[in-house]
Amino acid sequence: MLMALFNIVIFPGLLFLGIYALFFAFLDRKLYARLQNRVGPPWFQPLADFCKLLGKETIIPQGADRRVFVSLPVFALAAVTTAFIYVPIWSVNSLFPFEGDLIVVLYLLTIPTLCFFLGGWYSTSLYATIGAVRALTQLFSYEVPLFMAMLAPAILAETWSISGISAYYAEHPLYILINIPAFLVAMVACQGKLERVPFDLPEAETEIVSGTFVEYSGRLFAIFKMAIDCELVVVSALIAAIFLPFHAANPWLGFLYFIIKTVIILILLCLFRASMARVRIEQMLMFCWKILTPLAIIQIIINLLVRGALA
Amino acid sequence: MSKNFFEKAVDWGRRKSPWIIHFNAGACNGCDIEVVDALTPRFDVERLGLLQQGTPRHADVLVCTGAVTLQTRDRLKQIYEQMPEPKFVLAVGSCACTGGIFDGCYCVSGGIDSVIPVDAYIPGCAARPEAIIDAVVKLLTALEQSQKAAD
Ligand code: SF4
Repeated sequence: MLMALFNIVIFPGLLFLGIYALFFAFLDRKLYARLQNRVGPPWFQPLADFCKLLGKETIIPQGADRRVFVSLPVFALAAVTTAFIYVPIWSVNSLFPFEGDLIVVLYLLTIPTLCFFLGGWYSTSLYATIGAVRALTQLFSYEVPLFMAMLAPAILAETWSISGISAYYAEHPLYILINIPAFLVAMVACQGKLERVPFDLPEAETEIVSGTFVEYSGRLFAIFKMAIDCELVVVSALIAAIFLPFHAANPWLGFLYFIIKTVIILILLCLFRASMARVRIEQMLMFCWKILTPLAIIQIIINLLVRGALA
Repeated sequence: MSKNFFEKAVDWGRRKSPWIIHFNAGACNGCDIEVVDALTPRFDVERLGLLQQGTPRHADVLVCTGAVTLQTRDRLKQIYEQMPEPKFVLAVGSCACTGGIFDGCYCVSGGIDSVIPVDAYIPGCAARPEAIIDAVVKLLTALEQSQKAAD
């Protein structure tokens, strides 16, 4: 009981995830600034933003459904934190590994997007509604290639658990090379999931002010922002666990590996973000369905063939 | 009564992360260009924690340019009221301070302070980006002093 509470609240639950997410947000912004030849924000910037938002007035629009409007940010954060418990951190195994946790984590990571959609919808603001519809449209385009790219390594490893996949590739490191196309697809598709620059249509600040979050202010917006930052950590940890399964037997060394792996993924994601501009929604749909999805399908076929050859 | 730890953290956050929203109340566009200039990588205001936001709901500082025309008066008031407390207003440019060369025009109600309270005035036609950043820093310093005084 006490251990479970420790796991939920402190490590690897809320507190650790929150601090690591703030660190990630800083690293992301700093790298982005350096790539633009700027100095960038100081190290405490995300924390200062968070504190400030917590202390601000929280406005709930008149037309909004109060209960739903208030609970959605909490739902989003809770789903992301729950997903983190099933991602391996200090060793091959996560805290509670079970067969099929890959699917559970992927679905848990869909909940924040649905919360963004509902949040925008219940705000009853025009901009928020446009953002909400875009969030949902986007969901249908990146989710398919992302899921397929994550499932392709699972097919080769013949297991649906993240820990199982990690263990399999740790035993056969060379098989990672087969999954490189899936890795690229996952990296691009997760930009859509995280609503980062090439695919940040739902919050596109310059056209629909900030989309789904238009009406959120103060504490509720702080929680939403926290959920987004945490999602960045969870997604990079998931990609690291599946595609970069280098582990150490020692938990401390394993933890160090985890940080190195996730930071490498963050740097790649940041490079994507800094080198691209926002696309239009139909360009994004076109790209996801015509390029990413076929690539992911080819990857699955390759993995099936390799599996057959190995058997 | 002195403030507790959480109130101090919030005060600190307020000083370190001023998010701005830019509103043109009827400027000739000269000052707007300077505001946009101040946000470019060359001046890098993110090192002060300053970020531009799209919606008044996320903003702390309303950066206004230009004399207030009768057309924008109600909109300016609305945008100000949409911002959550605590909020600050910067008047950028001579027009925003007093009405400038448009003062007394048939369609102008005067400077920004004829409609909403203003915390800092930045004179100049157009105000330089350095002056705008300087004003933000002075605003934050004044905020720090008032926070200390309240403590
Ligand atoms: S102060 Fe000068 S530059 Fe600025 S809006 Fe007025 S006339 Fe234009």
